Amino acid sequence: MMLNAIDLTQLLSLFSFNRDEPMLFTSGLFWVLFLVFLPVYALLKSQRHKMMIFVIAFSLFFFYKSSGWFFLLLVATSFIDWWVAQFIDSSKNRTERRIALTVSLVLSLSVLLFFKYSNFVIWNINELINGNFQPLDLILPVGVSFYTFRTISYVVDVYKGKIQPTDDYIDYLFFLSYFPCLVAGPIVRARDFMPQLQENKPATREMIYGGLFLVMLGILKKAVFADYIAQYNNIAFGNPSGYTGFELLMAVLGFTMQIYCDFSGYSDMAIGLGGIMGFDLGINFNYPYRSLNVTEFWHRWHITLSTWLRDYVYIPLGGNRKGKVRQHINLMVTMLLGGLWHGAAWTFVVWGAGHGIALCVHKLSKPWLDRIESTPVTRFFSWLMTFSFVAFLWIFFRANSFHAADQVIRGILTDFEWAYLPVFLARRSTWCIMLAIIFGLHFVPRHVWDRMRDWFINVHWAVKLVIFIVLIQLVLQFASATVQPFLYSQF
Amino acid sequence: MNKHYWGLWTLLLAALSFFVVLSFWQDGIKVGGIDIKTGTFVRDLKNTLAIKIDSATTDSAKVKAWRAPMDTTAKNILFIGDSMLEGLAPRLAKYCDKNGHKLVEVIWYSSSTLCWGETARLTELINKYHPNYIFVCLGANELYVPDIKNARRPYLKKMLAEMGDIPYVWIGPPNWDKDTGINDLLARELGKGCFYLSANDKFERSRDGAHPTRESAHKWMDRVIKWIDANGAHPFRLDDPGEGIARASRIVVYQPPV
Repeated sequence: MMLNAIDLTQLLSLFSFNRDEPMLFTSGLFWVLFLVFLPVYALLKSQRHKMMIFVIAFSLFFFYKSSGWFFLLLVATSFIDWWVAQFIDSSKNRTERRIALTVSLVLSLSVLLFFKYSNFVIWNINELINGNFQPLDLILPVGVSFYTFRTISYVVDVYKGKIQPTDDYIDYLFFLSYFPCLVAGPIVRARDFMPQLQENKPATREMIYGGLFLVMLGILKKAVFADYIAQYNNIAFGNPSGYTGFELLMAVLGFTMQIYCDFSGYSDMAIGLGGIMGFDLGINFNYPYRSLNVTEFWHRWHITLSTWLRDYVYIPLGGNRKGKVRQHINLMVTMLLGGLWHGAAWTFVVWGAGHGIALCVHKLSKPWLDRIESTPVTRFFSWLMTFSFVAFLWIFFRANSFHAADQVIRGILTDFEWAYLPVFLARRSTWCIMLAIIFGLHFVPRHVWDRMRDWFINVHWAVKLVIFIVLIQLVLQFASATVQPFLYSQF
Repeated sequence: MNKHYWGLWTLLLAALSFFVVLSFWQDGIKVGGIDIKTGTFVRDLKNTLAIKIDSATTDSAKVKAWRAPMDTTAKNILFIGDSMLEGLAPRLAKYCDKNGHKLVEVIWYSSSTLCWGETARLTELINKYHPNYIFVCLGANELYVPDIKNARRPYLKKMLAEMGDIPYVWIGPPNWDKDTGINDLLARELGKGCFYLSANDKFERSRDGAHPTRESAHKWMDRVIKWIDANGAHPFRLDDPGEGIARASRIVVYQPPV
């Protein structure tokens, strides 16, 4: 009777594009599909070409599930840029090579600009001329910012002669569509990835279980920590005027840790999946909140993005080769673009500008700062200043508008009372404990993490299973746990 | 096949099987007083399997008229909800005064479908005040709840079961920010003509940025009344009482949940 009632279309809808439910590494459907993917991949791993075709098919399905037919855009981009790179490499004519590079850059950036910034431009035009242009009903293809940057780096590197283009289109499509990096990076370069693909070494025990360890760490950061603490941050940032200065400060601290757990957690999952498949995708976050200055922060935060911006924006603009003034202008332009890359809103531009100014100030004051003796006290104050500044700028990153950012800052500065601390701790104890744990874990030395990973790799299979089950149970427990929205201390 | 891949695959399969089996206990499992949550595999599968049956039911239900005729008898109204009632209820009380209805107002500060659904408070109130019409205004404290459709559906269903056949109108939360799905959940689960979506309304907010000002809340209630008259499943006599507010026959206040 039940089987008769199965609606095949409904069953198939699980595998079709759903705008509201993109397939992420934290979704149950992904792991069910990965369970099907893994044995086939393992069987095909040694047959490079077949393995690539299979992974490409899975990656394109992954993209389709999240962005619908826009996956064809990725296929088109990959084909054009593969062909352009071949052309650039084979052509001896400098002008031809330049034209080819320009065409590739214009095409790639046009797609990115159209999908990501059209409505931002329309909004600005409306503001400027008091117009009434309607925003476009656009779907932002998932990961378009990431794969655009990866394809640009490939074509530019071929143009500069840093890498040889691949003759095989399948190689390039594999690189660009590779599903672990598709949604949120890391922005792996072809020069690091392609040699691994050519070599196609078998995955070792260390890579497979070290990868699983990273995936689990990522799930813990994203699905347990980030998603839980985000609840309160969303409530407070959604309505700053309803909260006291103390509560707003906690929301700022909460968002500071949430965004780290969110970004780095997703990166960990991607890098871990890459490891399971036998590819080293590098590292993307290196304990950024341990930084003692803003320059160091950018060496530790979203490393593949910051190095991309350095190599393909800052250095081509002249970097530090054209004098101090030009260097600071280049730095500002790079950080402004970096801000805009994160989101199509002026608040992101201000966030980027804040970091740009801080980087310039740090560069200018470096000779003076270097003369200060490095002691635990000076290091602590350097850390405190850096952390506070970075957390302050996250307000602009998170706030829905300048008005909301202003309300948050004003609230903290003018309506701050420690008296709220005990009530806050009592009513949102789990949230506070979680924030403290994230903060504490951030300062666990790297060698301790390495030892834990090595232990996990070598521990008995059954222990690994228990740890994995406990982790998923934690995700389930916290998925429905809620944070008290209002303290109502006045009642 | 690489033996380590085999090991990883069996590990993932064992974990998945474990959670699929656990998900048969759809309401979770209590172990030593701790509520162990279970996944939604079985529930999701059941939902998928049930679609055809539901569609068939809906098709036959189409034959029935969903809108009852205008009821002109005096009502015994119970209005429950969160702090939003502070603004809404006095205006509804004015309509009740004008039209001969009796209103009992129950404000449970900071409450949500979770609070109401996991207690028997609604049943107690129904047994005590014997309403023949219920207004609910809940959801403002649930705008940001993750996985809300799974997390709150059971509590919402319990509330609906408690209300039984009593006609009701559920006034949705006055969103000040995008929600994670409470309005969608209410729209899907509540009967046709029983849910007033407030999310698209414009409000003047009080200093806390969340609650509408008293005047704005009164206009909100006016819009709800007009909507009941034009689109509600159970319209009843609610003639315009003119400007102003009144006091409910009885006001019950509960402290915020701990």
